[in-house]
Amino acid sequence: MTGVFHWFIIFFGWGSILLFVILTVYKIYRIATLPLNLRWEVYPVPHEPKERRTYGGSYMEQTNWAQKPSRPSLLAELGEMVGEIFFLNRVRKYNPYGLWPLSLAMHWGLYLLLAWIALLTAAHWIPIPEPVASVTGGVAFVLGMFGSLGLIVKRATDKSLSLYTAPVDYFNLAFLAAIFGLGLLSWAIGPGFLHHQAYLVSLITFVPAHHPAAVVAMFFTLQIFAIYMPLSKLIHYAMKHFTFTKILWDDAFMVKNSRNDRRIMRQLAYMKDWSAPHIGQGKTWLEDAQRAPAVDQGKQ
Amino acid sequence: MSQRPIRIRDVAKVGSESLVILDSQDMISLAPLEQIPLEKPRDKWLESYDFSLDGFSDFDFPKPQTPGDQKKFVQAFLGGLKKLFDPQNNWTFLKALQLSMDYCMRCQTCSEACHTYLASGQQEIYRPTFRSEVLRRIYQNHFTPAGKLLGPLVGADVEVTFETAWRLLELSYRCNLCRRCAAVCPVGVDNALIAREVRKLFSQEMGIAPTELLKKGSRAQLEVGSTTGMNPAGFKDTISFIEEIIEEKTGRNLQIPMDRKGADVLLVHNAGEFLSWPENPAAFAILFDAAGIDYTLSSEMVGYDAVNYGVWFDDVELSRVALQHIQIAKKLGVKKIVVGECGHAHKALCVIADRAFPGDLSVTEMPRESCLPLLRDIVRSGILKLDPQRNNFPVTLHDPCNVVRLMGIVRPQLEILQAVCAQPLREMTPHGVWNYCCGGGSGFAIMDKLNFSEWRNGVSARMKVRQVIDAFQNVLDPEVHKYIVAPCSNCKGTLREAITYYGLKEKFGINYTGLADLIVNAMIDLPRPYLEWEPKI
Repeated sequence: MTGVFHWFIIFFGWGSILLFVILTVYKIYRIATLPLNLRWEVYPVPHEPKERRTYGGSYMEQTNWAQKPSRPSLLAELGEMVGEIFFLNRVRKYNPYGLWPLSLAMHWGLYLLLAWIALLTAAHWIPIPEPVASVTGGVAFVLGMFGSLGLIVKRATDKSLSLYTAPVDYFNLAFLAAIFGLGLLSWAIGPGFLHHQAYLVSLITFVPAHHPAAVVAMFFTLQIFAIYMPLSKLIHYAMKHFTFTKILWDDAFMVKNSRNDRRIMRQLAYMKDWSAPHIGQGKTWLEDAQRAPAVDQGKQ
Repeated sequence: MSQRPIRIRDVAKVGSESLVILDSQDMISLAPLEQIPLEKPRDKWLESYDFSLDGFSDFDFPKPQTPGDQKKFVQAFLGGLKKLFDPQNNWTFLKALQLSMDYCMRCQTCSEACHTYLASGQQEIYRPTFRSEVLRRIYQNHFTPAGKLLGPLVGADVEVTFETAWRLLELSYRCNLCRRCAAVCPVGVDNALIAREVRKLFSQEMGIAPTELLKKGSRAQLEVGSTTGMNPAGFKDTISFIEEIIEEKTGRNLQIPMDRKGADVLLVHNAGEFLSWPENPAAFAILFDAAGIDYTLSSEMVGYDAVNYGVWFDDVELSRVALQHIQIAKKLGVKKIVVGECGHAHKALCVIADRAFPGDLSVTEMPRESCLPLLRDIVRSGILKLDPQRNNFPVTLHDPCNVVRLMGIVRPQLEILQAVCAQPLREMTPHGVWNYCCGGGSGFAIMDKLNFSEWRNGVSARMKVRQVIDAFQNVLDPEVHKYIVAPCSNCKGTLREAITYYGLKEKFGINYTGLADLIVNAMIDLPRPYLEWEPKI
């Protein structure tokens, strides 16, 4: 039975990673394959040249802009995104409820947790000083625990937040707190992170082994979280790519015979069935838009 | 505020009682002005119309009274909601809507970006996330497996009564769609878009929209030629009248070009300008003539009215009007369309319609541009003889949201003001892309049924009034004439009403004007000032 369980640990570990990848790709695919939306940008758009980006200007500040070359700076866009991912800049600047330090701690707890796993695994094969992984893991668990518990307390006690916080939101934070808490517990049992490293090596090398219960519990919780995350709104880290680069910063104008041009051509052939009296029934978007104004009302 | 805290599910409360009672004493101060109490709805209205959100409404048609009619209303609402998430029915904004519905982290970072929420004294129902959360919970409850299975555990706890649907409709018309909230969201969620999608649901599925926007708005524009009710013959008469104004004010005998094929530019104004502020299209005519711009107006139906109200509530109407604008320009054989001082028309034609029309109608084949860079280039070129001393009075600039935050056109208007004004510009705080809406955005400027204008003046325009008073803080003496420059018709309309409502002109000497008017006022070869403190019209 013990042997079966040890094999289960390995297969569940790999299964959770596989499911995480499949579900994440599926969720991204579903959004990516939605129809091309109309332009709906909001300025400042970070890929504008620096002289305009600083005050939120756009290429439309010029005359004859459709005939002028536009060179969006993908590096600047990336920089803005990095600021959001690693420093939560918008939360820091604009959130009035004191969420930033807690949210930053929770996010960095997660980032360092992933780094810790990578370091611990790599250290089995390449020489990495032991304190590097230990400090990374310790800081990850402490920060993550502080952040996720702090956010639970904050959400429960601030009226402006609690009104909008559903039980599932508390569950998500509690889930994270459980991972970080088990991490701290298993670390406390010790020695250091040796058992955690053995767990990871066993997983990667497909060699079943016995692990302390606290270590197994921590990794099990993390693996279940990996399966759950793409199914929840916690996958917002991936969806930010779409909200920002495909909507709020997407200022690319239509060029005849371009890929977007052809996509819109296809989408205009979609049939709509909105029921209001002023909407043309049984018509595609194109047919409806093309109707001469007065034909609609029977008076030309 | 002494009222009981609102919960999201309170929107389902049966009955006609308002969810909140607004009191101007709770709102931000407009000192040195006294707080003006908000007028309550008239008793006779209460029997026929619904005021169950906040005691205000623009919907001047009777609400469904019988349980059967109310049930049909709810069913139609749910049917429309389903279509919002269908790619065929809502390809235009589905991706943005789906992302905003699914990935809001409920951090409330957007709250303090909203001028209405702040100005109202942080009324919960005006928080950008409140209406979104109502819609989200209904959607989860009816259309998602998690919501159906887990209900309140995932937040799906809003029951859909007639009152829920009606209050959600009203809530969608408490947002100016200025999208300041979207600009600060850490995840890129767009609560203003959600408000617009709710409006769209009601319009496209149920034919319900404010009378001023649909029946007397886009419908009138497509049937008669203009939302003002002006037909082509009336437009031609108006242009003759404007030519007379120009002659009277400048001594110049100009003939405004109309339907001239092959001109470089088709200039389209918000037709409201011709009737309410004819000095503005007249100013464009003076400037373009002096600068030698090869342009024309169109007298074809829709072609002389740049407005496109669909941008606020209805994608089908949006595409119909925009297509007319582009086709008229193609027919005239102009090189590009230039939109006059009208913010939403800017965004509709230059940005949103950009991706609605492919092939020969695309922007590379028929460019659509703002008038502001062109005006800036004219001023910079030196072809006009301008004397800033002619504009020697305190000036502040109202940045129209559609032009700055939603198009990134920020500097041209500033550069113009620097060139034509004697005194340093008094910037509002905040300004540019971080400006606050005038309070009339997304149709509110023209919505005046029942007691809606009271809400606009008292609540949504309140932050702008605060900003204006602050901008002129040390020159509030009414003897010192001051101008708010607003290069947008609807912003001007809102400011006009707010100035009257709060008595800003009499008490502080604050007036408003368009940008082209101010440029012409600086022209040294005009016999007398172009701006008139007391307009004749």
